[in-house]
Amino acid sequence: MVTRNPVLVLKDICKEFPGVKALNNVSLELYPGEVHALLGENGAGKSTLMKIISGIIEPDSGEMYLDGRKVQFKSPKEAMEAGVALVHQELSLVPSLSVGENIFLGRWPQGRWGVNWSYVYREARELMRKFDIDVDPRVPVRNLGVAEQQIVEILKAVSQPHVKILLLDEPTSALTEHEVERLFKLLSDIKAEGKAIVFISHKIDEALKISDRVTIIKDGEKVITEEKGNLTEKDVIYYMTGKMFESNVSSHNADPGRKAVLSVRGLSAGILKGVDLDVYAGEILVIFGILGSGRSTLARVLFGLQEYRGEVFVEGERVEIRSPLDAIRCGIGYLPEDRRKALVFQLSVGANITLASLREISRKGLLMFDKEKELAERFIDELRIRTSNSRKRVTHLSGGNQQKVLFARWLAKSPKILILDEPTRGIDVGAKFEIREIVKNITKEGKAVLYITSEALEALEVGDRIAIMRGGKITKILPNDRQLSKSDLLAEVGGVVKV
Amino acid sequence: MIDRVEEKVKITPKNIGTLVLKGGSFFGLISLVVAFSILSPFFLTLNNWLNILRQVAVLLIVACAQTMVIVSAGIDLSVGSTLALGGCLAAVAMSYWGWPFLLGALLGVTVSALVGFANGVIIAKGRIPDFISTLGMLGAVRGIALLITGGLPVPSHFTATTLRGYLPRVLIWLGSGDIGGVPVPAVIAGVMVIITWFILSRTAFGRSIYAVGGNREAARESGINVDGVKILVYTLSGLYAGIAGLVLVGRMNSANALMAEGLELQTIAAVVIGGTNLFGGEGGILGTLIGGLLIGVLGNGLNLLDVEPFWQRVVNGFIIIAVVVFDQWRRRKIST
Repeated sequence: MVTRNPVLVLKDICKEFPGVKALNNVSLELYPGEVHALLGENGAGKSTLMKIISGIIEPDSGEMYLDGRKVQFKSPKEAMEAGVALVHQELSLVPSLSVGENIFLGRWPQGRWGVNWSYVYREARELMRKFDIDVDPRVPVRNLGVAEQQIVEILKAVSQPHVKILLLDEPTSALTEHEVERLFKLLSDIKAEGKAIVFISHKIDEALKISDRVTIIKDGEKVITEEKGNLTEKDVIYYMTGKMFESNVSSHNADPGRKAVLSVRGLSAGILKGVDLDVYAGEILVIFGILGSGRSTLARVLFGLQEYRGEVFVEGERVEIRSPLDAIRCGIGYLPEDRRKALVFQLSVGANITLASLREISRKGLLMFDKEKELAERFIDELRIRTSNSRKRVTHLSGGNQQKVLFARWLAKSPKILILDEPTRGIDVGAKFEIREIVKNITKEGKAVLYITSEALEALEVGDRIAIMRGGKITKILPNDRQLSKSDLLAEVGGVVKV
Repeated sequence: MIDRVEEKVKITPKNIGTLVLKGGSFFGLISLVVAFSILSPFFLTLNNWLNILRQVAVLLIVACAQTMVIVSAGIDLSVGSTLALGGCLAAVAMSYWGWPFLLGALLGVTVSALVGFANGVIIAKGRIPDFISTLGMLGAVRGIALLITGGLPVPSHFTATTLRGYLPRVLIWLGSGDIGGVPVPAVIAGVMVIITWFILSRTAFGRSIYAVGGNREAARESGINVDGVKILVYTLSGLYAGIAGLVLVGRMNSANALMAEGLELQTIAAVVIGGTNLFGGEGGILGTLIGGLLIGVLGNGLNLLDVEPFWQRVVNGFIIIAVVVFDQWRRRKIST
């Protein structure tokens, strides 16, 4: 491999975002016919690097060479034309169009009578045959499963003329083990054609399996690029975090002495497969898992947003949760992963805070404005929500303050259990800190908190116990004592510790 | 009120530009009034204004309900047909079946409310888009009104049914009478405006309407009965249409199945001119009041200026578009 010329060379790439050095002098060589795994923690800079290679953002400094020629991509289109194709984490196919139409979207061949459809389907079928994929190109994409859609997405990228480099951002997150095998076979075939593949994943075991070489990034800097054979999974984690992990952390199960506020037995729904869990009064139980592990499904199920099989107990009593109203009546509150789904942007800060407490602030259906104002202002003070007054539109608040408004909504309702799905995502560092403090204070009042996160550091900082979620199951529950470290957690969710 | 967003502007010469921008359609109305006052000597007379109020009352009553529907992120295209069915049923009951006024009125209003209820249930429980359900209802309900009346005016001497009497005086008073000089329809419209204002801004139900229209998912996750809110809003829409139906029959001293055709579009225009967001979640009754008056003043003024009715339609249509384009522009202006 060393004798060949690299298809892509990155030299001293730097990129700074306000307040963060996302990439610092990163250099990388990519060879034709290799799968190159890009590993690192959340926020290490992997995605930024991908975005630079695919022309979505431009680097502050540094150089990029494609086939020895210096390039500077101003847009994804330019990158695509030069031969760099990015396969997005979110699928970008048009569901109502057929597989063939999607593959050739935007470049349908013109015939004498409009689009030459027979050519489109002939070519699509040829492509399927070449990579040994059994999908009918005339079927609408919406009829396909997630795994097949992913494959169509990859074929669409590969079928572009002169594609040399394929970038895959967490392509396995929504796939089952069997589907991952199929994807890997497709990737090997593409590799055999002499194309280069960059593969980002949080699943360390998978990344090591498919790749030829591995590059590890930490805090915006490249730590190492190494042939796969020279790295063990333990090494990878060491390079990602700077710490060795202990493979012998033991699971800490139900505490018989304490009474659980929320208990779940054999809970199954979608990708959830028989989850057992106990949450105790006054504790923060972190659910730590990567994208596609089932962490958000668990939250949605417990709040009545998704149907389930299995048993749920609140304070020892069996309950049926079929709707958010059921959940609220059981004393459960929920902050979704995306706060935009929970805020009514047309309404004021105050109205958003009291939205779940309309019954409490009204008498015989009439709103009592003084009571509403009092309630809203109490929590604006308590959570230090930065707004000039409670009548300001919630749109005008910063992300962190909007998130605090949602906390205020539930604190005003005073639930027994609060489910938080990535409560600090997309907000600035100061607000992150404040929100963690708020969460800790909630448990002082004896409430239980289920805290979902994919950030290892955050899990360690807030959790009393940390439940590891992988493949729709809770694989382990760890007490958060001083011996537990970030590398242990990454090893657990990364598939390095075999269950 | 906590749900109202604070947008106060002090009146100073410097701020007059901002004020015009924020007032939007209100200044549109004022400029129309000024223009017509200059162009026609009859426009600014008391008689003419009482006339405008009488003409615009039916539109306003139905537009109140349409405001609630649109704030909840819905749309009711069936209001005109529902009005006709309610009015015809009441008139048939009173003149052919010999029912007393109260009973006949109750029948018309109840059936109208039921039509709205049916819309609500189909939309909320059947998960059918608001537009489709009420569009279907627009045709079907008008058809039922035609079947009931045989396509003839009510009361009519040509019906097979024996005529038991003319429309009761109370009904005619509702449409044509006056209280101390103020037309009764205008009084009724005023009362409906106040009731609707009260519902939207003072009740938990009203707050739920805003929440459902602004972000349905957020409302549901806050424990609001989203389906219930939708059903109640559409039921109210039918109820308001029924009341407007009585007023219209009283004013015309006759009911017919084809009355109030196109009313749905006029009410939607009034609501949108009033600044209510067609996608739900924001707006209010004050805007609709201005929007309704604007449409009324425009029609009246063009009549006084002797503009051909065909041209009136053209002018009407373009004015509505112009107002909304201006409104969108000023919103962008304010937000930047």
